Amino acid sequence: MAHLELQKVAKSYGAVEVIPGVDFEINSGEFLVLVGPSGSGKSTLLKMIAGLEETTSGKILVDGQDITHLDPSARDLAMVFQSYALYPHMTVRDNMSFALRMRGEDPAVIDQRVREAVAMLDLGGLEDRKPGQLSGGQRQRVAMGRCVVRNPKLFLFDEPLSNLDAKLRAQTRIEIRRLHERLKATSIFVTHDQVEAMTMADRIALLKDGKLQQIGSPQDLYLRPRNTFVATFIGTPEMNLLAGRLQMAEGHFHIGGMRLPASAGQQSRLSVACHSGTAVMVGVRPEHFAIVLNTTPGALQVTVNVTEWLGHEIFIFGQSDLGSISVRVPEGLETTPAQGDVLSILPIADRWHVFDAGSSENVLLD
Amino acid sequence: MSARQKLGGMGGNLLAWGYALIILGPMVWILSNSFKRQIDILMGTTIAPITLANYHQIINSRQSHFLWNLWNSAIVSVVSTLLVLIIATVAAFTLARLQPPRWVSFILLGWALVFHMLPTLTFVGSWYVMFTEVGLHGTYTALILAQVVQGLPMALFLMIGFVMNIPKELVQAARLDGCTYPQVFRHLILPLSLGGMAAAGALTFISAWSDFAVALNLSNKDTMTAPVAIATFAQEHQILYGQMAAASMLSMLPALAFIMFGQRFVVRGLLAGAVK
Repeated sequence: MAHLELQKVAKSYGAVEVIPGVDFEINSGEFLVLVGPSGSGKSTLLKMIAGLEETTSGKILVDGQDITHLDPSARDLAMVFQSYALYPHMTVRDNMSFALRMRGEDPAVIDQRVREAVAMLDLGGLEDRKPGQLSGGQRQRVAMGRCVVRNPKLFLFDEPLSNLDAKLRAQTRIEIRRLHERLKATSIFVTHDQVEAMTMADRIALLKDGKLQQIGSPQDLYLRPRNTFVATFIGTPEMNLLAGRLQMAEGHFHIGGMRLPASAGQQSRLSVACHSGTAVMVGVRPEHFAIVLNTTPGALQVTVNVTEWLGHEIFIFGQSDLGSISVRVPEGLETTPAQGDVLSILPIADRWHVFDAGSSENVLLD
Repeated sequence: MSARQKLGGMGGNLLAWGYALIILGPMVWILSNSFKRQIDILMGTTIAPITLANYHQIINSRQSHFLWNLWNSAIVSVVSTLLVLIIATVAAFTLARLQPPRWVSFILLGWALVFHMLPTLTFVGSWYVMFTEVGLHGTYTALILAQVVQGLPMALFLMIGFVMNIPKELVQAARLDGCTYPQVFRHLILPLSLGGMAAAGALTFISAWSDFAVALNLSNKDTMTAPVAIATFAQEHQILYGQMAAASMLSMLPALAFIMFGQRFVVRGLLAGAVK
């Protein structure tokens, strides 16, 4: 277990700047998920921490020790690769014990640790198989076992679930999380899948173009997104962004005729940040709309184009005066809306965000 | 199957058999000559009484040193093949996975290409002068060094293909598992490129074993290799066709054995990197 700190860590390939400088800290025992679209530099950052990529500038500190230019073999970090990278000519047991043997550990200790890991990861009976004789899920667990036996300072995961099918992925997510609860090892998990990020992380660091957009708990990112990128990246279907100018009418802010129901606190915060006429984007998640009577003042009329029925919830995608819009239909609705139906909707009080039209920053956060 | 396809199949078969005949024909002819008396060979008799005299003569006669020549060939080929394999595999790992500066790869591969393309005889004259100057002419060292230079380019290209097929992540995983680069080579690259080494080794061995031009110029009576010795059967006043044929057959055996052993790997080696 270790504490990791990145200080202005930057990476360029020649003149191309991939990561302009990232700062953050990971506390001992924390599970941090690095998430972002492809090309955001998250894998590069992970490889820099591992020492597999040179760091152009900045510092990487583990427990206060500068490891920026330390050889990867001396860093005592373990990594689960996307392709698992199991040694194809070695058995499961040899794969797991390899690092310990390289370290010259006592054979009795090695045997003990491997046996523990095999039991922990439910790999009993497979110890003498080669990776080629294992299924995808088993290989994934061997790759985890290879890290577990070492008891390293840091666990690094480079999209380890992307080669599994959806069902196995969901199961492995829980297994990794349970393993983390048990070992309490400081872990960094890279993924482009926001569901993985939301379900596994203690904290999420969201990257875009090598820049840290926001770091915080899953709830933080979901409920208090710093900018429109964070707002639309987290959550499916993504948050509706409705562009327009704020208007004040009957004691409430409106956008394009739609009322923004607010508590007194929210109202006063918005009044401080903006005034009537400010160009903004109002963000409302599909699940934060309520269907109201069409006589309700300030309601938005939506003409249904497509209905997605998922069993436990229904999403409708439609057209309104403010552009296309997606709405989760709350449970308990008598009839499923069909194509061509017109619904009246209104955001739930305080469950909406206002972003500056120019900078895309959330104006309601301090 | 339509008549057209049938005809095409037959044509293909005919071509393959014709090609085999071109290769096998002379070999069968030499094989039959090695069991004939000199007089039958000179008379052009097709079916002649079988005799083992030729083999007996080159193996047992006091005037013949052919077994010694075979031994020389073995030393030169085996040692040079081992050296080529070691150098080629380490170099391939360095070039493919350690990201040396571009100019290093460029010079090394460029050098390999040039040596591979130019005919050996171009160099033999210079090598003769160089080795004579330093007093190495006629030694195993000279022969082995020359064979290494000759065999290295192809082995290098083959091994680069093989090492490139070992995923980068494996090397990275081993590095994080605490391996230095020499340990990565020893525990990962070496065991995983044995197939490639078998292919490159078989090809290098065969080319060193059958080399004539280099050995003719750099060897002396004590270090003479089998191909050069075979040529000496063509003497000033007569050509010992029978013994020549018998010697050829004997010298063919090791190469044949290697082909049998290495065939699987050789084909894979030549196709390495062609398709993923």
